[in-house]
Amino acid sequence: MITLPEQLEKLSKQENLIAQGAESLVYSAQHPYLPQQECIVKYRPKKPYRLPELDAQLSKHRTLAEARVLQKLALGDVEVPHLVFIDAKNGLIYMEKIEGLSVKQWIWNEEGDTEGGAQEAGDKSRSLPDGDVSSLKDTLVLVGQEIGKLHKSDIVHGDLTTSNVMLRDGKPVIIDFGLASVSTLAEDKAVDLYVMERAVLSTHPVHSQQYCDWLFEGYLAVVGKSQKEVMRKLEDVRQRGRKRSMLG
Amino acid sequence: MTTYLSLGLEGSANKLGVGVIKHTVTDANAENGFSTDILSNIRDTYITPPGEGFLPRDTARHHRNWVVRIIKRALDEAKISDPTKLHCISFTQGPGMGAPLQSVVIAARTIAQMWGVPLVGVNHCVGHIEMGRTITGATNPVVLYVSGGNTQVIAYSKQRYRIFGETLDIAVGNCLDRFARVLKIPNAPSPGYNIEQLAKKGKKYVPLPYTVKGMDLSMSGVLQFVESLAKRFQAGDLVVDGHQVTAEDLCFSLQETLFAMLVEITERAMAHVNSQQVLIVGGVGCNERLQEMMGIMARDRNGSVYATDERFCIDNGIMIAHAGLLAWRQGFETKMEKTQCTQRFRTDEVLVDWRV
Repeated sequence: MITLPEQLEKLSKQENLIAQGAESLVYSAQHPYLPQQECIVKYRPKKPYRLPELDAQLSKHRTLAEARVLQKLALGDVEVPHLVFIDAKNGLIYMEKIEGLSVKQWIWNEEGDTEGGAQEAGDKSRSLPDGDVSSLKDTLVLVGQEIGKLHKSDIVHGDLTTSNVMLRDGKPVIIDFGLASVSTLAEDKAVDLYVMERAVLSTHPVHSQQYCDWLFEGYLAVVGKSQKEVMRKLEDVRQRGRKRSMLG
Repeated sequence: MTTYLSLGLEGSANKLGVGVIKHTVTDANAENGFSTDILSNIRDTYITPPGEGFLPRDTARHHRNWVVRIIKRALDEAKISDPTKLHCISFTQGPGMGAPLQSVVIAARTIAQMWGVPLVGVNHCVGHIEMGRTITGATNPVVLYVSGGNTQVIAYSKQRYRIFGETLDIAVGNCLDRFARVLKIPNAPSPGYNIEQLAKKGKKYVPLPYTVKGMDLSMSGVLQFVESLAKRFQAGDLVVDGHQVTAEDLCFSLQETLFAMLVEITERAMAHVNSQQVLIVGGVGCNERLQEMMGIMARDRNGSVYATDERFCIDNGIMIAHAGLLAWRQGFETKMEKTQCTQRFRTDEVLVDWRV
């Protein structure tokens, strides 16, 4: 087998780059043990804008946390990529490749907004295309259920957006656990939901309320008895957001 | 070719600003079919003694005392002898501190009636964004708006400035100001500026909490932690890794931590909306270390960063005049009975119909 830094050098060619996230580069790669199987490598490069001490600490912590969470979830019923291999020192994680679109892109396609919501202006009053409503609803309810299962496993994602849920054969798979952590606290789960709500509002502004309703419908269907406390906290977090004094 | 003139009044926090702007329209059908001239931009800041913040009542009194003189100076400098020739009076309708906003809107209503000129209420945040776009020439950037009361990551979509990320509790400028109060760092010209100067001499990095939640962030925990360190420093027993920590080290560590968080959420928003440009606005935006860090991040994404200097970053009247005039040219006017100010006025409430 080739050593990892060498491997990375071979990988890090532009043609292998699948995505440039906020803090990681995702390359398609060969599985380290099963050469016929395709997988991806998530690499956290050094961030020269921040202090080396802080950067090293964050990269190591997040790579480890992501791997731990993926490993924990591998035994449960939440759909996440399989963890293949980790090299925390070099900030590398090998994992299963999920084929499909992100929910963000899929919704934009469904809405007929191919160039991307945040970059394009459109008419404000457009209604949802009739034929697509049921597939949008079904999918978002499923996404909500997946998030519910995640919280039921006491995992908080930390960055729930429609970019971080993929659709594989129409079934949602949650990805990118770089900011994830283990928590049983209703407060942490509520902040997770608040982040999701805000991301939907900004990314899919025209029908955000409807989309959130569907997500929560799915979420509430699976979380069970812990839901009361989480939803109550969510109300608190929303208030905090709204009340924030806005001077300046 | 048509020209339009607007006078803007800003007083949502401790700066009182009045500015006059001129738009010369060459192509009325194009979004960018006009040029902008800044005829005057006058500001007076209410400065409190070290260790104290500015209270609404005292700030409002400062604005009342100065507003007439500042308006006169702005008109003189703009060489406007007949103010009835102005096309609109723009004023900050919110968000901000209640009492200071109130005292300035009274001035706005008065001159509008004296001169028979329509009023236009402006959202403070939109004022910052529009001024930043105009000065830097950034066309469709992700905007990081950082000031004493606001911390937001914004991108334009479908006629609104959408908030992608923001603070879940206190603003970054508030965090810096309150830290400055503990160490009695002077408030002139601004606490943030003095922290920036001290931070340049800091060497030892003291680890602080790092709390990013997706595109949002939280800073109250960082503040509490660094305040407790500052108090230990004042008591003379702050040693980390065998190193005697100085006030400079604390300023340095606080800046590095907060700004790393800000750059990270901005980068996350850029990745999320596929944008290559960043624009930094708001008072904290004139911090050169923040601009430098943002520049490194943008460069690594093959993008670019746009920032302005203190004339436009720090609250000013010209940005209000500018955003007000953009709205007025679309036929927007705030009727006298609708000119109440509001402390809470979300950036995404404004219909941005001057952009496509």
